[in-house]
Amino acid sequence: MRGLAPLALGGVILTGGALAEGDALPGDPAAGKQLAGQCRTCHGLDGLARIPIAPHIGGEPVAYLIHQLTAFRDGRREHEMMSIVARSLSDQQIADLAAWYSGHSIAVEMTADPSAAPEACVDCHGADGLALIPDAPNLAGETNIYIDTQLKAFRSGKRTHEVMSPIAMELSDQEIRAVADWFAAINISIEQAE
Amino acid sequence: MQKLKLGAALGICTALAGAASAQDNMEKLSNMQRTDATFTVIDQTGPTAEALADIVQFINVPEGFEVSLYAVVPDARSMAVAPQGTVTFVGTRKDKVWSVVDRDRNRVADQVMDFAPSITFDIPNGPCFSRDGFLYIAERNRVLVFPAAEFFFEGPDPAVGVVVPKGELIPVEEESFNHTARVCRVGPDGKLYISLGQPHNVQPVEKLELYDRLGIGGIIRINTDGTGREVFTRGVRNSVGHDFNPVNGDLWWTDNQTDGMGDDIPPGELNRQTAAGQHFGYPWLGGASIEIPEYKDVPRPEGVEFVAPAVELQAHAADLGMSFYRGNSFPAKYHGGIFSAQHGSWNRTVPVGAQVMFTALDDEGNAAGTEVFADGWLNKETGEYRGRPMDIAFLPDGSMLVSDDFAGAIWRIAYVGTASE
Repeated sequence: MRGLAPLALGGVILTGGALAEGDALPGDPAAGKQLAGQCRTCHGLDGLARIPIAPHIGGEPVAYLIHQLTAFRDGRREHEMMSIVARSLSDQQIADLAAWYSGHSIAVEMTADPSAAPEACVDCHGADGLALIPDAPNLAGETNIYIDTQLKAFRSGKRTHEVMSPIAMELSDQEIRAVADWFAAINISIEQAE
Repeated sequence: MQKLKLGAALGICTALAGAASAQDNMEKLSNMQRTDATFTVIDQTGPTAEALADIVQFINVPEGFEVSLYAVVPDARSMAVAPQGTVTFVGTRKDKVWSVVDRDRNRVADQVMDFAPSITFDIPNGPCFSRDGFLYIAERNRVLVFPAAEFFFEGPDPAVGVVVPKGELIPVEEESFNHTARVCRVGPDGKLYISLGQPHNVQPVEKLELYDRLGIGGIIRINTDGTGREVFTRGVRNSVGHDFNPVNGDLWWTDNQTDGMGDDIPPGELNRQTAAGQHFGYPWLGGASIEIPEYKDVPRPEGVEFVAPAVELQAHAADLGMSFYRGNSFPAKYHGGIFSAQHGSWNRTVPVGAQVMFTALDDEGNAAGTEVFADGWLNKETGEYRGRPMDIAFLPDGSMLVSDDFAGAIWRIAYVGTASE
């Protein structure tokens, strides 16, 4: 697991609310595994997505998972499936689910030259698509249309984030698809924690 | 401490070269020029094929039918069998359309590769053929046409035309990932019929007027040159399968119902449409009579009578692709009836679905009984899927193809008994 690295943006230190939420409750992966029964049709028990519209969440940073599940539950992020699943989750259940899925290990294999990675993304998401900060998702191996859709949601304001929104605002459709294709082309494997 | 570069436009220019060339390809192909695109070929032998073939033993079909693995096809969604029957085009919810070829006609595919690799596809879920061999592909937000695709699919640069330009099928702000798997069919009138799911679980009231006007949460029809758009079907939640009754031209379609109302409501739907413009009740009703809570106090459209589903199916089983049986190798009871795929539930307490349903029709074209035709893709002991049927198509010999985007396969179900019915 990577350590917390505060993010500097124009001299302002951003430590998102997610980190505070993540610190609040220690999650129990065993309890999370039980709860993951309602996630596995789409995300797999190991967090390797079983349908294109779902992201891979095995080995995701714990703070990111907590932040997103909480946002779905509280209505700050909307998705026709996730909003329903998340609405009845307690803070403890969210911490447990995050502990289960973040506890798996993800490995990547790249065929492209890492120096060709999209520069605006690499400081947070890594050239290999593995997140370098706690509140960023891994992008490695995600379906390109998933990344494409999320970037467009940030661009249109449907999804908001203090860092992602301004970045996405500057991107054309073609630039978005090129970014999505870069990360989608990275092969991943996830080893499920016991 | 990490520094974040906000010069995004500058930053991603390395990735831009690829995007620019993909954009150019549409122009090049429209002018019958060549690109340097290469094919992705899917191995039809080896461990993946063997693992899939092992699933066949679990699939139950009626007496006299036989199941086999027809092809290994990643993310296989809606299918279109070309008029000559040699190649089947298969859409995905990703960025590929696959061509599946059985050249030696032994009813096992011998070549699977991506179609038109020079084109940047975006959720090309819905392929369909016109009777004269034009292949249409409905994407999330664009419709393309490939003349004589059946004969040109083996080159990377088939001729292509734009029926509906990118961004004009729905407003760009309404694009989502889920509920954007389009299905298309060419109707008896020669027009294209394309389903447009509404992107929410239940659409917000403020979207009602816009969606109703554009046919989002509906089925639209357009001329094959993209002109003359009309909303043909109203009051749909998210339909991912439709077909015309070859006997009388009625349009039948499945609809996925609202999530989050409990395990047993609202029922899934198989609908029969007999006239243009009919309204099927969503978002006021799920099934014939289950009221959607968000719309209890929202006035229903004036002067409109809701059409009830012809068949109510098990809640959350996810009825998707469907096709009329036009062949004759199946026993007589199946002739002229509807086969439909249930993809299976995603968050029901006890999973249901993942099976192929059959609905018989009577002489007047009414639904006359629905039964399970094939099941076993759901392991009922563990609740795990072995596969998830998504669409139904038929080969010229009358045998059935079932696409499966979970297993990444196309299954074939053929009648091998001696028809005595």
